[in-house]
Amino acid sequence: MLFRVLDKSEVSSLVAGFALSAEVIGPVRHQGTFVFDEVGSDPSRLCLDYTTTILPPKKYLMPPRETLFGFSTAQNRIEEPKIEAVPRVLFGLHACDINAINRLDEVFLDSEFPDPYYAAQRAATLIVGISCMPDEHCFCTLWGTDEVNRGYDLFLHDIGDRYLVNILSVQAAETLARATHAREAHPEDSAAFQRRQEEFKAAFPEMPDDSGLPMLMDAYYEDTLWDELGARCLSCGACSSVCPTCHCFDIIDVLGPGGDSGTRVRTWDSCCSPDFEVVAGGYNFEATAASRVRHRFYHKFLGYLNRHGEILCTGCGRCEVACKAHINPRAVIDGLQSQAVAARARKVIGDEGQQVPPEGETAGKVGV
Amino acid sequence: MVYRATSILKDQGGDGRFVRDGRELMAANLYRPWPARITSIDELTAHEKLFEFRLIDPHIREAFTFECGQFVELSIFGVGEAPISISSAPSKQGFIQLCVRRAGTVTTALHDKQCGDIVGIRGPFGRGFPFEEMKGHDLLLVAGGLGIAPLKSLINHVHDERSEFGKVTILYGSRSPADVMFRKEFEMWRHRKDFNLVLTVDGVGEGEDWDGEVGRVTDHFDKVDIDASEAYGAIVGPPPMYRSVVELMRELGLSNDHIYVSFERNMRCGMGKCGHCMVGHQYVCIDGPVFNYWEAVNIQGAM
Repeated sequence: MLFRVLDKSEVSSLVAGFALSAEVIGPVRHQGTFVFDEVGSDPSRLCLDYTTTILPPKKYLMPPRETLFGFSTAQNRIEEPKIEAVPRVLFGLHACDINAINRLDEVFLDSEFPDPYYAAQRAATLIVGISCMPDEHCFCTLWGTDEVNRGYDLFLHDIGDRYLVNILSVQAAETLARATHAREAHPEDSAAFQRRQEEFKAAFPEMPDDSGLPMLMDAYYEDTLWDELGARCLSCGACSSVCPTCHCFDIIDVLGPGGDSGTRVRTWDSCCSPDFEVVAGGYNFEATAASRVRHRFYHKFLGYLNRHGEILCTGCGRCEVACKAHINPRAVIDGLQSQAVAARARKVIGDEGQQVPPEGETAGKVGV
Repeated sequence: MVYRATSILKDQGGDGRFVRDGRELMAANLYRPWPARITSIDELTAHEKLFEFRLIDPHIREAFTFECGQFVELSIFGVGEAPISISSAPSKQGFIQLCVRRAGTVTTALHDKQCGDIVGIRGPFGRGFPFEEMKGHDLLLVAGGLGIAPLKSLINHVHDERSEFGKVTILYGSRSPADVMFRKEFEMWRHRKDFNLVLTVDGVGEGEDWDGEVGRVTDHFDKVDIDASEAYGAIVGPPPMYRSVVELMRELGLSNDHIYVSFERNMRCGMGKCGHCMVGHQYVCIDGPVFNYWEAVNIQGAM
């Protein structure tokens, strides 16, 4: 991999360099917190030392509302879909969010059915990552998603008054060379990077014990934990909106004012919304908030893992802030672990001659 | 992954011919429905109609091939899309039959359509029954209610290649004689002794004409005539039916991975992305809708 060193004073030149040929999106301050927004050629709005934004950058790859095509109801005719991508640079993404985009890529690109809308926008998007410091909601170290090794074009590692820049794509390398005076990296830059990494790792609090997590999802599938969480869940879907990896969507027809034409639209959806798994005729396969919460975490901790070899969470902590019922990955892991501890305790008491609850009570069914 | 962000019809050659073939056209954007004309409508019961569609574009029509058990997304523009399993057999090409109950907004809008009207169809999606693997074996096919719709594709396909199979028993249960679908075809098959057919209804109302059996499908397993050790079973029906029918098939001696079930879910995209049809760790739209029983019991929350 190629490295260069860039003085912090030159970041604005780099942004301006990108802005010549693309829309530059970055973290900006908004009502006491941060959002991703267009910074244009004015890099002064950029807040590169931000903690976390309200919404993740997925909105630039799968918009909350996206038109798939138009149609005429009068003539029952479909307008040929036009897939238009906006050349864009996502500037200043943290490792968790780039890891999340890599997971979206797995679903929308590396599939038997590549998604033409996502693919076009992804191909027109450059990603510039930036190192960060955790706040109290960050738990990326739990999954190892505090580091990212693919999926970006540039990654800026903060080493004091300068960045150690990791370069992955030729497009980004050329802009860096053209717009800035980035220089070769020296041994003291590497040493500074190493010191900064140690500082970064040390800034995280202790993480919950996630050992055996996928197995626990099966073993405690029929557990009261889900009823407790379900009783709290407001079914609002905020968790899915703020999640950088959640990608469920709905496809709906929206009629124009006259009713004789309209558009087919793809919108963000959430598996926690009450009618998510309703079939025609009204039967609901996930009828309770408890089963929907379980379904969501089952997919994150086991379902996606089963297919793609990774957990569908990058520890960004957004849902810890957004969920008013305090349902989030760390709470679920804690819950599962305490159920496991309780089950072990019951077993020990049982060994000493007391009543053992029958296995089937807490364990999910295994096999036939 | 580079996708050419252009309209696919711009690829038409100067002489008006498509440069790409139908298969490529469909694969370029699987969200795009293709116009299909309703060529016949058969009222099967008070709530179910059998629609026959013909894809209008000849390239698409030629490229549209499918397996028994697969489904399509049917569009009524302005109303939306609904996943519907294909009822016709892959051996009959050039048209698609869908057996549709008036149940939701899209199916209601479809029921109001006439012959000659145009709808949109995209697909086919999903994994169907292992037809080739089933060849050379006895079959036990069990349908309950509207479950006959997807199973009909398999039944017709088996019928078209009847000599490839051993003994075939079909158990089909309905609520009442008025709810029995495809009666004429079943009548014909019974007379020709193509299949061992057991048609049963939950009850017969006064004055209703019924010469079949009465009771649930599970009450008539004594009439099953197959060599169970190597046989294949298929079950499509309302969810509560699966468990009891599987139990009886197991008692007969069918192995877990020879018993196939089809799941009904709310498939929105058909491509394993939108999440609506997820059950356990599987997407019904790409991993199913047909699963063997061994797979099905290993999906949390499926059975």
